[in-house]
Amino acid sequence: MMSNFIFMNGYGIFVWSSFGLVLISGFILFLKTRKTLKKYEKEFLLELQTLPEAKKKHVLENSKIANKILVENSKTN
Amino acid sequence: MFNFFSPTNIFLILSRIQKFINSIFFPILIVSLVFALILSPPDRIQGDAMRIMYVHVPSAWLGLACFSAITVLSILAFIFKIKNFFYINKSLAPIGLLFTFLAIVTGSLWGEPTWGTWWVWDARLTSMMFLMFFYISYILCFKFIKKEQLMLKVSSLIAILGAINLPIIKYSVDWWTTLHQPASIKLGVSNSIHSTMMLPLLSMLLVLVLYGALIFLMKYKTEIIRIKKKSIKRL
Repeated sequence: MMSNFIFMNGYGIFVWSSFGLVLISGFILFLKTRKTLKKYEKEFLLELQTLPEAKKKHVLENSKIANKILVENSKTN
Repeated sequence: MFNFFSPTNIFLILSRIQKFINSIFFPILIVSLVFALILSPPDRIQGDAMRIMYVHVPSAWLGLACFSAITVLSILAFIFKIKNFFYINKSLAPIGLLFTFLAIVTGSLWGEPTWGTWWVWDARLTSMMFLMFFYISYILCFKFIKKEQLMLKVSSLIAILGAINLPIIKYSVDWWTTLHQPASIKLGVSNSIHSTMMLPLLSMLLVLVLYGALIFLMKYKTEIIRIKKKSIKRL
């Protein structure tokens, strides 16, 4: 039963390679995309930190995106 | 109406959708894999090799769908001058490229046990390979052309040229004699595929759609943050 599932009557190598390739390449693209997103979020926050206090407050009051990034990053850190 | 397409609005909506997809993705993936690898019966002629269809067909569909979307958005962006559509396209292209690549490679893995060869230069396979080249050139144009106006023009040109290839891919199996089989699933026509195979196919399609959506959301958010970072001092 178990060997049937693994070898699939001789087609196992083709079937598992196909599913494995889809899962692995999908996972790699996911990790790469998430890493880039986090990098840009960090850079954005660093840029925000360099602003004078009044300007920073103004940006946070006027930019919903800046707020969202700040909230999401404070949750993960 | 176009205010709805503002980066801020889209960013906030995308964040909510991303959370929702994250919460449902893994349960659907596990159920779909169980259907595709265990519960679905083997084909009478192709045996278990047919299971490759559950990743090959949705990948091919999504590869084509992404490029169709890129073409439509490129045209709309040119007519209505909505730059945001180019950022959407930039985020869509790597996903389309991945799916097209997967369709070609899994097709090759399916071809060896069923046709006895990894590759033939038939119309369907060759036109799919051309689609992959269009994706690569589209992505490279965003990467290497620094002047924005030129980049937008060149990327639109590639998208429109690539769109000519889409009906060729779709109808290649009808127009020419190919080793690749004709479509088993047609909209509005009774299908030649049994429901025990149709269900895993549709559930794997759902998994890949959700995955594509998740990657798109992250890539598009990255684009928006990149734009906002440039303009942060002007806020």
